[in-house]
Amino acid sequence: MSSITAPSPTVDPTGPLVPVARSRRRTELTMLAFAVALTAFAFANVGFSLNGKLPSGIVEYMAPYVVMVVIAHLAMRRFAPFADPLLLPLAALLNGLGVVMTYRLAAQGNLLTAPLSSSATEIQVVYTALGIGCFVAVLALIREPRVLQRYTYTLGAIGILLVALPALLPASISEVAGAKIQIRLGTFTIQPEEFAKLALAVSFAGYLVAKRDVLALAGRRVLGIDLPRARDLGPILVAWAASLLLLVFESDVGTSAVFMGLFVAMLYIATSRTSWLLLGFVMFVAGAFAASKLFAHVGERFDIWLHPFVGQNPSNNAYQLVQGLYGMASGGLLGKGLGGGQPYITPLVQSDLVISAFGEELGLAGLMAILLIYGLIVQRGLRTAMLVKDPFSKLLAGGLSFMLALQVFVIVGGVTRLIPLTGITTPFLSQGGSSLVASWMLIALLARLSDTARRPPPRPIQDEGLTQVVTL
Amino acid sequence: MNRALRRISIAVLVMFLLLLINVNYLQGFEPASLASKPGNSRAFYAAQNQYERGSIVTSDGVTIAASKPSSGSIKYQRYYPLGPAYAPVTGYDTLYSQTGVEAAENSLLSGNDSSLDVRKVIDLITGKTTKGATVEVTINSKAQQAAYSALAALGKPGGVVALNPKTGAILAMASYPSYDPALLAVHDGTQLNNNDAALLKAPGNPLFNRALQLTLAPGSTFKVVTSAALLTQSPSTTINTNVDSPTQLTLPQTTHVLTNNNGEVCGNGSGQAPLITAFAQSCDTTFGRIGMDLGGSALNAMAEKFGMNNPNLTVPLPVAQSNYVIPASLALTAFSAIGQYSDTVTPMQEAMFAAAIANNGTLMKPYLVQQVTASDLSTVQSTPQSVLSQSVTPSVAQDVGQMMRAVVQDPDGTAAGFSAANEGGLVIAGKTGTAQNGVNNSGLNDAVFTSFAPYANPSIAVGVIIQGGGYGATAAAPIAVQVIKAYLATLGNP
Repeated sequence: MSSITAPSPTVDPTGPLVPVARSRRRTELTMLAFAVALTAFAFANVGFSLNGKLPSGIVEYMAPYVVMVVIAHLAMRRFAPFADPLLLPLAALLNGLGVVMTYRLAAQGNLLTAPLSSSATEIQVVYTALGIGCFVAVLALIREPRVLQRYTYTLGAIGILLVALPALLPASISEVAGAKIQIRLGTFTIQPEEFAKLALAVSFAGYLVAKRDVLALAGRRVLGIDLPRARDLGPILVAWAASLLLLVFESDVGTSAVFMGLFVAMLYIATSRTSWLLLGFVMFVAGAFAASKLFAHVGERFDIWLHPFVGQNPSNNAYQLVQGLYGMASGGLLGKGLGGGQPYITPLVQSDLVISAFGEELGLAGLMAILLIYGLIVQRGLRTAMLVKDPFSKLLAGGLSFMLALQVFVIVGGVTRLIPLTGITTPFLSQGGSSLVASWMLIALLARLSDTARRPPPRPIQDEGLTQVVTL
Repeated sequence: MNRALRRISIAVLVMFLLLLINVNYLQGFEPASLASKPGNSRAFYAAQNQYERGSIVTSDGVTIAASKPSSGSIKYQRYYPLGPAYAPVTGYDTLYSQTGVEAAENSLLSGNDSSLDVRKVIDLITGKTTKGATVEVTINSKAQQAAYSALAALGKPGGVVALNPKTGAILAMASYPSYDPALLAVHDGTQLNNNDAALLKAPGNPLFNRALQLTLAPGSTFKVVTSAALLTQSPSTTINTNVDSPTQLTLPQTTHVLTNNNGEVCGNGSGQAPLITAFAQSCDTTFGRIGMDLGGSALNAMAEKFGMNNPNLTVPLPVAQSNYVIPASLALTAFSAIGQYSDTVTPMQEAMFAAAIANNGTLMKPYLVQQVTASDLSTVQSTPQSVLSQSVTPSVAQDVGQMMRAVVQDPDGTAAGFSAANEGGLVIAGKTGTAQNGVNNSGLNDAVFTSFAPYANPSIAVGVIIQGGGYGATAAAPIAVQVIKAYLATLGNP
């Protein structure tokens, strides 16, 4: 495969003197075909398992999905021809599986748990279209990642506003399951924190690139660790306070952990100072511990985690976690098959505990595959961070990848009782629009960054003496 | 920055490894221990639907519950050929829970009982499909059908229990209104939910097993206990001994006057009557007087010998406790002796009163499951007959039995309408009860009847309670007689 086949206007067939960079869009297309085929098979599987025939809505649901995926691919060819070829197919596969699981949970319920509303699948397909639309928009609008650096403080303000909004609004329109994390407009809900994560990641990157030299200055050395100077502690204290406020006022432990982790990891990447990492970790654990003692909602999470099967817990507070574990256990190594298990027994299985539904129906094998898909996306992101040259892009790529990894760790770890369960969404798989759209935007940013990283250098100047017009 | 990024990559790798290891542990090693944790309905469900569920058949070979192959994701559909008539026996088997014999013998029916393990291995080797065990109940289909039809024809809520007095085998166990267990065996969750909600809201509470769970005042049928206590405590008393039988009995420390039904006189109106006459005419004044003389403790002891105040009776379906409460005053003791204080009994207890008398004073433990056979027809389990209690001596049993015969056979007896002359020579013995209830006895009377037949060689004892049925002789007794005749017809004698 040569770059001649890539229909990108930004790449001209170069002369023999310059090595040819491969865009690898065909690889992407092949992989996308696999993703679409897997989704279609999964869909058919649900129908055959539940009713012995192809699901009634398979064409209505699959057609828009395929069209959108193809549009995303064409947008990649047009706007980011050198982007990593795996990002889009992996995201499309996860998204497809999420739609299938929504369909499956809408098709069957039991005595205690009614199935999802019959329009749930349609809505999820609409969200998918919206997500891929935003993916294309991000690629089209942000042609050069460094442009974002200009909006460091604007995006920071927007991010903080988005996070604070539900806490400021009355509980009637912002509270869900004890946490104030959404804005309800009629039947439509938005979880602003999903978008805040992206805004803050960009903002952190801009800020840290500007201040990294100062932050990297060592202060006193204690036990072989260079502590930062006291006067430079400001930013981490602000981030810490903000994440604790989130925890206290919105009772949202998971997101608070993701924000704090994101900031500390980016601080570390920017300064290469282990002390920041340790400091951030210690501060978060101390804060979370204090919160668990001070606030019942947080303390309960720890009790559920440590003693899910004790006393009244299995039927009360820990019911959701315990039923999720039972579901995964019943799935065993190979799973019950899509449509063959009883994931609907677990409350909120379509959002927070969707990974347990996959564990139950696809088994350990399927769950590991899903985890590896996430791992692969994160790995592509981190690789992009290594490859890309300018520090802002490096920091942003590293931060976004780590955030995705952390989010997967927090929710999957929570559902499988590795860590306390906190209600955050599973990227691409959970039912719901905000998380899906934000996840697609994250993939778009990574694609943009990897395109920048892998794009061949401009052709050497041949006609010396003439003025060159450089476009940025 | 790349050095830091590399380290972050390693941290991410560790995070994913931890997740993978944890998931492997959870799904690879923990399923067995999680399966036995509280509230794991998935494990229960899996075990429940692994094999074809065994059938439930009556002692005369009528199938009352069975499974057939089904097309959906659940491989077998439970069905109940005779539905409502047998619902108190079979109970139901939903996807999530069971009642009745379906619950009591669940592990054997579903094929998960450890006693079937060896056969499962044999099935595995011989390539046969493992099935759940078949449960044979002691029910006689003719008696059961007669009991349910009679209840349904009357159309009032009530329960009937028929026992074999010699063994304790339950011959019939009917409840009205009843329900079709098939409604709860549907596989569709929404439909099941709707059916369940409809049954819970249905008038007369059809899911309630009145045969074993309905507890109401025994009324005059408790005079069986009172007279048994008298004859046991005072050996000189015979059934022909004259006892105080005033037309009115003023209760001590009260202004309350106890009278007989409709203020009738007892016996010849002399104030004295033979015990058997007072029993046959069901004189409340006589037995109120006897109760006061005996005292609450003596009545309590005798009631317990007949199986009352036993919270743990199972057949193996749980039977509601029939209560005798020792009254605090003499006046209340008089009421308790005629079954009108806070004593309460089940239709099962009514059958047990008659069964004990019919079996020479020995009360056999009632049982519903005759035997359980595996799919290879070998017997897995059979219920041994056992004595629940020696209620009275054989001679006392004979005396009380004679008095019960008088209730039905004497022209003045309260149930004289069912005498041998009217029933083609069949000699039935019994005792009627008409329990008043409601504030100031304003509610409808509950009709009660306890009986056994044939008198000479009793082979069936029947207890009937009809809620709001009116007189025991008119509402309860005809049902008992129909059950008795239906059962005796199967034995080849009238």
